Amino acid sequence: MIMEYKKLILRTGFLFLSLLFLLLNGQNVFAKELDPQKILEAVDDNLWSNTKHIEGRLMIDNGRKERVLTWENWMEGTDRAYTLYKSPAREKGTKMLKIQSKLWMYTPRTDRKLLIAGHLLRQSMMGSDLSYEDMTEDKKLSAAYKATFVAKEELQKTECCVLLLTAHDKTTTYQTRKVWVDVEKMIVFKQELYAKGGKLLKEIEYFDYRLLGKRLFPRKMIFRDLLKENTKTTYIFDAIEFDVDIPDKYFSQSILKR
Amino acid sequence: MIFNIAWKNFSRQGIRAVLNVMVTALAMIAVVFNISLYNGFQAQTTRNMIRTDVAGGHYRVPGFDILSPTEWEDVTRKIPESLDDLPNAERASALVQQGQLFPNRRLYPVQLRGIDVHQTLLDLPLDGLKSYGERVEDIIPAVLGVKMAQKAHLKQGDTTVLKWRDRHGVVDARDLLVVDVVTMVNSRVDEGVLWLRLDHLQDMTQRQNEISWVAVKEFQGPVQGMEFQEVDELIADILNLIENDRKYAQVFWVILIFLAGIGVFNTQILNVFKRQKEIGTLMALGMTSAQVVGLFTLEGSMAALLSVFVALLLGTALFAWFQSVGLDISHLAESTIPVHENILLDIHSGEVVSTIVIIVSVMVLVSWLPVRKITRLDPTLALRGRAIT
Repeated sequence: MIMEYKKLILRTGFLFLSLLFLLLNGQNVFAKELDPQKILEAVDDNLWSNTKHIEGRLMIDNGRKERVLTWENWMEGTDRAYTLYKSPAREKGTKMLKIQSKLWMYTPRTDRKLLIAGHLLRQSMMGSDLSYEDMTEDKKLSAAYKATFVAKEELQKTECCVLLLTAHDKTTTYQTRKVWVDVEKMIVFKQELYAKGGKLLKEIEYFDYRLLGKRLFPRKMIFRDLLKENTKTTYIFDAIEFDVDIPDKYFSQSILKR
Repeated sequence: MIFNIAWKNFSRQGIRAVLNVMVTALAMIAVVFNISLYNGFQAQTTRNMIRTDVAGGHYRVPGFDILSPTEWEDVTRKIPESLDDLPNAERASALVQQGQLFPNRRLYPVQLRGIDVHQTLLDLPLDGLKSYGERVEDIIPAVLGVKMAQKAHLKQGDTTVLKWRDRHGVVDARDLLVVDVVTMVNSRVDEGVLWLRLDHLQDMTQRQNEISWVAVKEFQGPVQGMEFQEVDELIADILNLIENDRKYAQVFWVILIFLAGIGVFNTQILNVFKRQKEIGTLMALGMTSAQVVGLFTLEGSMAALLSVFVALLLGTALFAWFQSVGLDISHLAESTIPVHENILLDIHSGEVVSTIVIIVSVMVLVSWLPVRKITRLDPTLALRGRAIT
């Protein structure tokens, strides 16, 4: 009787210790099972395509009033992009052409094209929470950052894997980011952009993912500059086409005219 | 004898003579006052700029332009040894970078100016930064000028977020503590400027031992990798501004002298017309027409000569009083004019003398111009008062 009691205690203790071990190492097991860098690559593969054509709206809310701009965008890889703003009247006909790290802007009111380079890239784009630099970001996350697993969190009613991204080189604008990834679908729900010293600067949220061909693409993205009060910039993608043929003239400076 | 006659004739003009003297004297006072006020403005501006910013000139990194903030980050270099070795009373090193402040979570672009806190060359009230260590800790200590603090709605003890880029363009941000709000006599080093310790800004931007310029007490000879800019070059925009203003003021001086001249000119025309019989008599008594012209010109010029004495008397009293109060330019507080205190006159004797000479010369000229016609008068007609109709 006593022997059986001792065995029971031993078994219970072993079970308890095993559970405790599993609990403490659960996250590591999760991390070992899913390579964070592979997750990031899968996320990039889902978002980036050879070519893309998007029609959408850009809502810039500065806390006092909101401006809505409609636009059409053609992208080729990470290097070339052309955007045409269609409304409101004030912005109608404004064009932006990005080729690698250079960005040209054409405004019909001045009938001039302006190269936005160097330090000008750090200015706010049309009063939004994005800088031109954010716009011209031409590196895939998986290429620019090393990912490590941080935690599991629930976001938008989905269990997400939180990855900490650390820049490979010391010239990357944001040295650290955090991304919330749904590892089932390999989609991002949220990104946080940090200053070198660790202060949280910007936040990007992704909403309403929908299946477009083989890809899941968000219908809405909200950018917030967390150092400013009550400002947000919302991108709404109304129509998206992947792997479309884009005429070469769209990525030529000759398009930057009336 | 001619002088005596001229004086008697002049004094007989009564109120007309007094008015001419007063108007000419006031014109002199006004012109000298105006010139001296500009001198005072320029002198105080230059003094304030030298005291707080430019000292005896700057050794700048070639290409650095304070008016091109987007290029500040590209124009820095390690401080040359020959300048670094100068005593604290003879050099002040500065690093200038762009930053963004977020008081009350509103974006406020600022100039980050790191200054060597041990320097004594420039008169900057930055003692609040001295008690901090060389390495920047979790919170960045900063000093603001009163105007900057007002515009950014910050006060001593407030904390806010400062965002900047390091030498690689990487974004960094940290909390900033306003350790002091100080009065700056030069609004150019107040508005939009955030004063930090030089070592802190170098640390924050990963620019160890780098500077944008070194202000020096005096020229130290050519320094490799740096270009020397003299005081006049550094404050050229203000000097040009004042110079342009002086040009506009010259129109005002011309109008004043013209008004004074009109009075004398008018008196002289009237004299020749009303005193034809006297002119005829003088000619009949044997005076040549040139002597009569000289007499009348001297009469007219009496106003100018007397006005010099009146101007000296009134002007001395007025200027003495003005120097005790100065000109309040608080309405210019919103501008970038580097003067905070009241403006005092800076009177140059050369300018006073030349102003007097010019005005007296003009008065002599306008006294002579109307009486020239006397040379063409027929004495017999003049005696009957019919030479000029």
